[in-house]
Amino acid sequence: MLQIQNVSKTYPNGTQALKNVSFDVKDGEFLVVIGLSGSGKSTLLRCINRLIDPTEGKIIWDGVDITAAPPAELRNIRRKIGMVFQQFNLVKRSSVMTNVLSGRLGYVNPWMSLLGIWPAEEKQRALEALGRVGIADKAHNRADALSGGQQQRVGIARALMQDPKLILADEPVASLDPVLSHSILQYLEQLNKEGITVICSLHFLDLVHRYATRVVALKDGVKVFEGTAQEIDRAKFKEIYGEEAQEVRAASL
Amino acid sequence: MPRETANSHPVARSGLASVFVPGLGQFLLGERYRGVGILLGFLLILGTTAWYGEPFWYASPILIWVWNIWDAVSLAGGRARSILLPLAFGLAAAYGIGWQVVEIDFSKANVDRAIAILRPMARPDFVQPRREVNQMWVPVQVPCSSEPPLARREDEGKTAFVMPDCGGVGETLIVSASGLWPNAETNIYWQNPIGNPLMLGEGEITMLTLTSDENGAVTAAIRVPSTALVAAPDPTLPQFHRVYFEQYRPTGGYELSFIGNEVLKGALATVSMALLATGLAMVFAIPLSFLAARNLMGGNPVTYAIYVVVRTLLNILRSIESLIIAIIFVVIVGLGPFAGMLALALHSVAALGKLYSEVIEGIDPGPIEAIRATGANWLQVVRYAVIPQIVPPFTAFTIYRWDINVRSATVIGLVGGGGIGFLLIELIRVNNMRGVSAVFIAIAFIVIVLDYVSAKLRERLV
Repeated sequence: MLQIQNVSKTYPNGTQALKNVSFDVKDGEFLVVIGLSGSGKSTLLRCINRLIDPTEGKIIWDGVDITAAPPAELRNIRRKIGMVFQQFNLVKRSSVMTNVLSGRLGYVNPWMSLLGIWPAEEKQRALEALGRVGIADKAHNRADALSGGQQQRVGIARALMQDPKLILADEPVASLDPVLSHSILQYLEQLNKEGITVICSLHFLDLVHRYATRVVALKDGVKVFEGTAQEIDRAKFKEIYGEEAQEVRAASL
Repeated sequence: MPRETANSHPVARSGLASVFVPGLGQFLLGERYRGVGILLGFLLILGTTAWYGEPFWYASPILIWVWNIWDAVSLAGGRARSILLPLAFGLAAAYGIGWQVVEIDFSKANVDRAIAILRPMARPDFVQPRREVNQMWVPVQVPCSSEPPLARREDEGKTAFVMPDCGGVGETLIVSASGLWPNAETNIYWQNPIGNPLMLGEGEITMLTLTSDENGAVTAAIRVPSTALVAAPDPTLPQFHRVYFEQYRPTGGYELSFIGNEVLKGALATVSMALLATGLAMVFAIPLSFLAARNLMGGNPVTYAIYVVVRTLLNILRSIESLIIAIIFVVIVGLGPFAGMLALALHSVAALGKLYSEVIEGIDPGPIEAIRATGANWLQVVRYAVIPQIVPPFTAFTIYRWDINVRSATVIGLVGGGGIGFLLIELIRVNNMRGVSAVFIAIAFIVIVLDYVSAKLRERLV
């Protein structure tokens, strides 16, 4: 179980991205975080694996306080938390294989990894991960030679390499068209059904209805809603997205 | 009365204003930029013509002034005049004065001298026909001692003698050789005791060349060269000089000429000079570039101060042409490729440091975030997220710099920096235009090949 307790984040420039946010994520959930751009979704996800250090509050995962972990322990925690990004964040000039293998950096001998030497079983594992997302044949292409949807699948394969118990997905489909969006989210759904907890931020409400087991909504860094997707009625919608908002749908499935 | 009219009538008023101050009429009519522009343009042209002082060119500011009045009057009537006209007046004056300042004078061109230079350049001195040499010499005493030895020598069936057996400077001697190749051109020259050849042809500046007869014999009347004793410590002491007979004949094929060999050596020196300079520069530029990258150094005031200092130093260094730096290094370490190499290296440190730092500033933070999120340590983040992003552009920029350095190295040779440029300036000094032409071809060849190679390499990297 992941417990987020009274987390606040104030950036050095004074921006308050998160204000006293608390909620729990049970193991096996597909939790979707919604909210406008700038509402603090990305900051919240990055606080969980401490790519960003929260200013206040605690994040406790299976009884371990992530926010208090010293560097070595933090790296051990991070390697169990896969992360998928809106811009994929692949090393564009490196091969797909290298990008996927890099997901394993927390496990392998660091000195060998610095020399770029990978054990055969890790390479095999990488090929399997690529196979799971359907692009094993692209292993030796340069990452930037792939289409957007393929790049995001490489991103998922990289997260899979971490043998994660939790996947953080920061707007994983915001750069993709609606059809690709579903295919990427179905991979995440599949992983979720295999027991990996998924915390995912999303824009489109119909995707939220389709995939989320539970929803947390942020507005200006404050949690304004927590519940199931079905509980988001017109009034709630207006509250989360503002009075002028119109619901935009991704193409129906 | 007329004054009142001028004040009440916008056409007359603005026209009058522009008579006294060009552009003022336009300015008063609300066309402020136009007015100021006209005034500045007028003053610029007036100043230029006044500085040059040629009365003819005053026509230009006067025409602009007249146009300006016309424009002011038209503008009051609601219609501006095209500024192309005053622009044309101004440019005419500027180009006209420029023409005279540059002292363009086609009559100075000397076609004969041009041909004298260009004709040998059409035959670059790279290779020469392979040939064998047939040589013979005979000693002769200068000046005469009381009992001069016989000036006669035999060698491998060849015989040479001088009559009389000795002579003083300017005296006429008969020189003869037999047993040489028949019907072949034979060069005859003098060699003083320290081994310097002296020519025996007309005015002692051309080679004396005769053709041997069918029996391989040649005979000539020569004068003992006027400079034969110039280097002698005691001109009254009899010394043995030599008269040489030399024949050449082609043996088929070609070989590298002396100059051709020098050109190749110079080219090699230039390319390696540039290579070494680039390598040295790279070693220093990489650490400096990290200090000059704003995204790394902008964090706190101390590192930002370092960033500003390093950036400023690099900018200053980069603004000094490597040719100038070379002149300084020639003074410090002496003539030769080493000075040129150091100059190129110093300039390249600045140039590469800036290019590298821009690469570092432009790296995508996304992969860094992603690799950190996998639980990688700091070194692994650098190895897997930073290095893949910076190594290809670093390499590409380094190759590009090497390419530039080879071109600069040829020029740096001209100020004593060694390499092919040094050879070039030496050949120009001794008026060896065939050699100069060979150097030109070599430089063009190096630059074209390197340009191609570096472009291909960079294409693969980026």
